[in-house]
Amino acid sequence: MLKILKYFSLVLLLVIFLFPFFWMVVSSFKPTSEVLAIPVNILPKNWQIDAYTNLSNYTEYDFTRYFINSFIVTFFAVLLAVILCTTAGYGFAKYKFKYNNLIFIIVLSTIMIPFQAIVVPLFILMRDLGLQNSYLGLIIPESLTAFGIFLMRQFFYSIPDEIIESARIEGASEFRIFWSISLPLAKTAIFALVIFHSQWVWNLLLWPLIIISSPEMRTIPQAIALFSGVYFTPYPEQLAISVLACLPLLVIFMFLSKNFTKGITLTGLK
Amino acid sequence: MKYKESIQNKGFYFVLPSLIIYGIFLIYPMLSAFHYSFFKWNMISESKYVGLKHYIRMFGDRRFWNSYITTLHFTLISVVIIIIFSFLLALLFQERIMFKNVFQSAIFLPVILTMVAIAVVWQFMFQSTGVFSNIFLDIFGINIKWLTSKSVTPYSMILVNVWKITGYYMIIFIAGLLNIPNTFYEAAKVDGTSYLQRLFYITIPLMKNTFILAFVSGVIFSFAAFPQQYVMTEGGPARSTEVLALLIYKQAFEFTKFGYSSAISVAFFLTLLIFSLIQFKIFKSESDY
Repeated sequence: MLKILKYFSLVLLLVIFLFPFFWMVVSSFKPTSEVLAIPVNILPKNWQIDAYTNLSNYTEYDFTRYFINSFIVTFFAVLLAVILCTTAGYGFAKYKFKYNNLIFIIVLSTIMIPFQAIVVPLFILMRDLGLQNSYLGLIIPESLTAFGIFLMRQFFYSIPDEIIESARIEGASEFRIFWSISLPLAKTAIFALVIFHSQWVWNLLLWPLIIISSPEMRTIPQAIALFSGVYFTPYPEQLAISVLACLPLLVIFMFLSKNFTKGITLTGLK
Repeated sequence: MKYKESIQNKGFYFVLPSLIIYGIFLIYPMLSAFHYSFFKWNMISESKYVGLKHYIRMFGDRRFWNSYITTLHFTLISVVIIIIFSFLLALLFQERIMFKNVFQSAIFLPVILTMVAIAVVWQFMFQSTGVFSNIFLDIFGINIKWLTSKSVTPYSMILVNVWKITGYYMIIFIAGLLNIPNTFYEAAKVDGTSYLQRLFYITIPLMKNTFILAFVSGVIFSFAAFPQQYVMTEGGPARSTEVLALLIYKQAFEFTKFGYSSAISVAFFLTLLIFSLIQFKIFKSESDY
């Protein structure tokens, strides 16, 4: 009896958590007339891909371009984040330079600076630097993650000093030790960082809304937010572009779901 | 010895690039927010020093307080529900279950969906002829105005938030549970304790750090909510879902009141700072991390 109850509640949970996504997908294959019809049809009477093909009819929205923008920004923001987090994390973990702890605490405390609280001054700064409506303007602020530095520092701590010391005796330069000995050992942590950070960057809405005003520089979440805000946009089209926006992360998740949960475990516990 | 020290100091060069970039693009803007909050300006005309005027205005501004309370309400209720719910799920997944991976992945799925896309589909389901409203009407016989009632909509927002991030905390709690050595439970079982006793005297006390971490990160995440409200309600109806991030955005980029917006940013930052400091204090006294 208890067992039946357990599986019943599990199946109920499964339905609740999957349904909105399921609904987003099936509704995107319905015609506009059917999409808000009562009584509700669960599956489309006749499946059609008009919502997807129609997306190219909205001449003021170049969705292909927005996808490319999002890919470029995500790729470089994550790359920059990995470079900054691994170097800084390594420096903090493996060297006892002056004020190491103090500097680390200052960097760590920036975790408490919510992005929302600095958008106005950051916007003014980027405008003064001439980075409005540019990839760099999107990439640089989105590559910052004090949490990533913290993660990498914790990870490099676990690498024994003896490995580094013996490389030094053999005459390897400090950068070479970092590049060819320490970095390869940190693969798991870097992987976790890449997964988390790309998810974060891909989904950002507020910063693109602020720094990007020219249509051809929009990112995909920004484009969807603007597109769905237009009064006469039919729902199937809104849902179709939403499905497409979710795909890249879904694909990553399907292939790397083990690393995903491993990553959460790694970041969640330390 | 001298040689050693010079090597140790080389570590600073590894840290330097991050220091420069974080300094320019994170710490400097934060300090500027304080600075700008004392000036009145709109990007076009010359800025003017106004002292504490924005803060005085903020304290008397009903729109600000409405937004502040809306954000607190959204954050605290979301986080409490999420933590309890995801902890219960983690306990459930400790049991032997067929197709465990399938169930876990399903609950985790919303975590990896794009927030804007989620907002679009929930807005769609919440329409008066949308599927969610209809199911509710069929089962409970009441017609709820999910997005158009001032008293209901804040809870619709919480519902979406809970649905979106419960899976993330479930994984954190599952990992936390795995960290508890099995011998604890075996010893307790030998002593003839019940499941609930083991839960309250072993599991929960040993998971304290995980709970604190979940609470802090949950608050920081929910406090900064923006895409959901921006897409689904634009802060309505009657400003019942106008969270702080949305208000900061509107004040600066719709009303071009950059100084006043900065003052709100400072209040936003200080709230989270005070909250985090309290948490760290608890953290420090409870553990040796």
